Amino acid sequence: MTAVQLPDFADELVAAMAARDTERAEIPVIQPAEPFLDMAGEDLRRRIYLTENENGDSLCLRPEFTIPVCLGHIAGQVGTPRRYSYLGQVFRQRRVGGNEFYQAGIEDLGEADIAKADARAISDAAGLLRELLPSEYLSVTIGDQALFEAVVAGLGLPAGWQKRLIHAFGDETAMGRMIESLASAQAATVEESDLGELIVAGDVSAIAAHIGSVMEETGYSTHASRSPEEIAARLVEKTELEKTRLSDKAFAALKTFLALDARLSEAVAELRRFASSADLEIGSALNLFAARVEGIEASGADLPVMRWRAAFGRPLDYYTGLVFEIASTLEGAVLAGGGRYDRMMTLLGAREEIPAVGFSLWVDRIEALRTASGAGEPGE
Amino acid sequence: MTLTIALPSKGRMKDDAIAIFSRAGFGIVQTGNDRSYRGRVEGRDDIEIAFLSASEIARELGAGTVDFGITGEDLVRESLPDADGAVAFEARLGFGHASVVVAVPEIWLDVTTMADLGDVAADFRARHGRRLAIATKYHRLTRTFFSRGHGIQLYRIVESLGATEGAPASGAADIIVDITSTGSTLRANHLRILSDGVMLESEACLVRARKPELEGSPVVGEITEKVRAVLPGA
Repeated sequence: MTAVQLPDFADELVAAMAARDTERAEIPVIQPAEPFLDMAGEDLRRRIYLTENENGDSLCLRPEFTIPVCLGHIAGQVGTPRRYSYLGQVFRQRRVGGNEFYQAGIEDLGEADIAKADARAISDAAGLLRELLPSEYLSVTIGDQALFEAVVAGLGLPAGWQKRLIHAFGDETAMGRMIESLASAQAATVEESDLGELIVAGDVSAIAAHIGSVMEETGYSTHASRSPEEIAARLVEKTELEKTRLSDKAFAALKTFLALDARLSEAVAELRRFASSADLEIGSALNLFAARVEGIEASGADLPVMRWRAAFGRPLDYYTGLVFEIASTLEGAVLAGGGRYDRMMTLLGAREEIPAVGFSLWVDRIEALRTASGAGEPGE
Repeated sequence: MTLTIALPSKGRMKDDAIAIFSRAGFGIVQTGNDRSYRGRVEGRDDIEIAFLSASEIARELGAGTVDFGITGEDLVRESLPDADGAVAFEARLGFGHASVVVAVPEIWLDVTTMADLGDVAADFRARHGRRLAIATKYHRLTRTFFSRGHGIQLYRIVESLGATEGAPASGAADIIVDITSTGSTLRANHLRILSDGVMLESEACLVRARKPELEGSPVVGEITEKVRAVLPGA
C-alpha cells in the first residue's frame, strides 16, 4: 500500500515522540546526494531518486532521515546530548511496496552512557509500537557487532583477517565464504620479484623506499592515493597471512559463536558459557552487553519477546555496536529497525566523536497492520 | 512491416558490420552520400538501415525503436538495466573484441585480486578520509561486478568520458574500470589488470530487440540465420 497521505495516527505519533524528550527535526525533501552515496556506496544509486541542479550538483529525494538529521546537528553547532525525532516521507526505488512512504524515528546523539542510550532506543521503539499497535504481538531481535569484534580479537587472529571478518559481519553469505576461505590453505599469490627477500624479512621501510622510487620514476602522484608505506605494510601482512590458516579451534569457535541464538534473558549466561568453553577473553564487550540488558529490563517498558542472535548485524562500516529489529510476530513484517552508529558523525564531518544511536519506524507497515486489525476505526 | 537494422555510423566497426551483412547476402547501400545516416538493403524494401553511434544503438534496441543492431555487448549491458530481458544476443560476430577490466596501479604490489581490492576499499575511508575512487564510464557494469560479484560496496565512481587510463597517475581516481583489447594502453600507463578482474569479454554482436511483433517473423528468422551462416566456425 502506498501512503501518500499522512497516516491518521500522525499527530498521536508526533506527540508520543515529543513526550520522549525529543525535538522535531525539519528536513528538506531535496537533499545533496553526496553524503548518502558516500555512506552507503555507489550501489545506492539504483535505489534512490537522483536529480541535478543548474550547476550540475547531484541532488536526491530524501531516501532516509538519519544522515540529514546528523548533518543538521553538525551544521547547527549545537551541544550534546541531543535527541531528535522525525516524521515524513522518504523516497526509494523498491521492488516491493510503494516508492514514497512515511518513516518516523528518533536519533539520540551524544549520550555518553552507551548502555543506557542503547536500552532507551529499544524501549522507545517498542513503546511507540505498543501505543500504535496495542494488540499486536511483537518480537525484538538484537545483535551486537562489538561482541563479534571481541571474539575475533580474543581468538588472536591476524589483524588482516580480523578486518575481513568484521567487514563481512551481518552478511551471512559473505561471512560463510570468508570463514571457509580462511580455513582452507591458500596458495601464495605474491608475484615473483626482486622484492621477495625484503618481503620475507618483513622489512616494511625498505619495501616502502623501493615503492616510493618506482612511483617517482613512473610519474605517479604519491600524495593522491595509497602511500608507499601503506602498500608495503599490507604486502608484508598479506604474505604472512598466506602462510597461515585458521586453526581448527578458532574455526570451531567462530562457527559456534555465529550460531548462538538465545532469549535475551539468557544471553549473558550463554555468552559466559561460550567464552569459558572457547577459552576467550571478551570481558569488556560482554560487560557492556550485560549492562545494556540490565538497562532494557530496568526501562520497565512492556517488553515483547526479545532474542539475541550472534550473527545479526548490518554490513555497513559505520555501524559499531547494537543493532535491533522489531517485527510483528505473526506477520513477520519488520516494523522498526535501529542501531548504534558511533562512526557516522565524524565521517559526516563532526570535529569530535559523537556517540549516536537511533531507530526508524516503518509507518506504512504500521498503518497496514492497524487497518487490518481495525485499530483507530470508529466504534473500536 | 519494415524492419530497421541499426549499424555503427563510423570506424572499423561500421566497415566490419557492412562486410558481414554483405557476406550474408544483404548488400547495404548508404542513401545519398557516405555521410548519410540512412541506408537500405539492395532489393529489399522490407529492411531499412539506420546508422547510429554504437551506444545509441544499444539504447534504441532497449527502447525497441530499432529491431536489430550491431554493437558491442559491453554497451548493451551498460545501457540497459535488464539487458537479457530487453534484447536477445542472436550472434557473436568475431570482431570488435575487447574486455572490460578492473585495473589498479602496477605499483600496488599487494593488490592482485578482487579480494585484495575489497580489503583496501574497506579501509580506505579510515586511512584517506574519502572512499576509494574508480574512474570509469561503465557505471552499471562496475556496480554489478563489485557489489553482486564481490561484495564490495564502499567506493565512489568518478565519471570519466575519455583517457580513463590516465586518472590514477593524475590523482583523479585510485583505480579504473575500462575497456581494453591488447592491454598495451594499460601497461603504458603503469596499470595492471587484477587476476580475477575481467568483468566482461565483449565483442560485436547481432542484437535483436525483444518485441512481441518480432516473434515468429520470417524476416527476423532469415536475417539471423543468414548472418549466423557466414560466421567463422559456422
